[in-house]
Amino acid sequence: MQRVELRIPSIPIFERVVRASAAEIGSAAGLSPERVEDLKLAVSEAVNNAIDHGNRGDTAKLVGVIFEIDGDKLEIRISDQGSGIERLEFSRRVIDDAHLDAGYLRGFGMYLISALVDDYEVDSSQHGTVLTLRLYRKERQQ
Amino acid sequence: MSDIIRREELGDVVVLHILTTSVDAVSAAAIAAECQQMRPITVLDFSEVSFINSAGISALLKFVVNARKSGYQLFAMNVTPHHQKIFKMVEMSRYMPTIEERDLAAYR
Repeated sequence: MQRVELRIPSIPIFERVVRASAAEIGSAAGLSPERVEDLKLAVSEAVNNAIDHGNRGDTAKLVGVIFEIDGDKLEIRISDQGSGIERLEFSRRVIDDAHLDAGYLRGFGMYLISALVDDYEVDSSQHGTVLTLRLYRKERQQ
Repeated sequence: MSDIIRREELGDVVVLHILTTSVDAVSAAAIAAECQQMRPITVLDFSEVSFINSAGISALLKFVVNARKSGYQLFAMNVTPHHQKIFKMVEMSRYMPTIEERDLAAYR
């Protein structure tokens, strides 16, 4: 097993550091270029969620990211130092007239994660939230 | 003048060339600010863009909202296949269809 760990302050510019790492690690894990793009987006969304909703933008709090390549699996664990969340909303979220008219222009991140990775899980407590993402090297059968 | 977007005015058409490679939480505010100066036909050029996330999509939706309010047309150009996939997933394509660079030839 190969493991890479990062810890970043809750400042959006550092999400780009994690994303760049995800690109390199995804390639090293043998993912196809399209799957690497999926990985970058899913990790970006998870890190931004940890910054905005987990740590609530508190720059003193860190976001931890662990990448593990294990056999045919790439697992990424994104953790925050917040006080936990009741639930994350992964249901399908698309743009529609009602949301536009109401000025509600956000809320796509968790849906994109759920659609782009092979599986995911959330573990949240008063000590923080860990979002685990998994992508498999072998392309899924359609 | 923004260092995130370069404007190309073509009469009733404006092409907004996005100069940053990442349409994300860092660049979102600067990109969204340009939605205040749309023209009846506004084209967003993504030729330099290699990454778009949901914070970026939210910024792009401000162009959609303004276009709907003003009765303007909004198009995307030079969108990578991956970003076309993402736009389709969130149904951005319904509100910001893709055009080809050659479609602007008549205005240049």
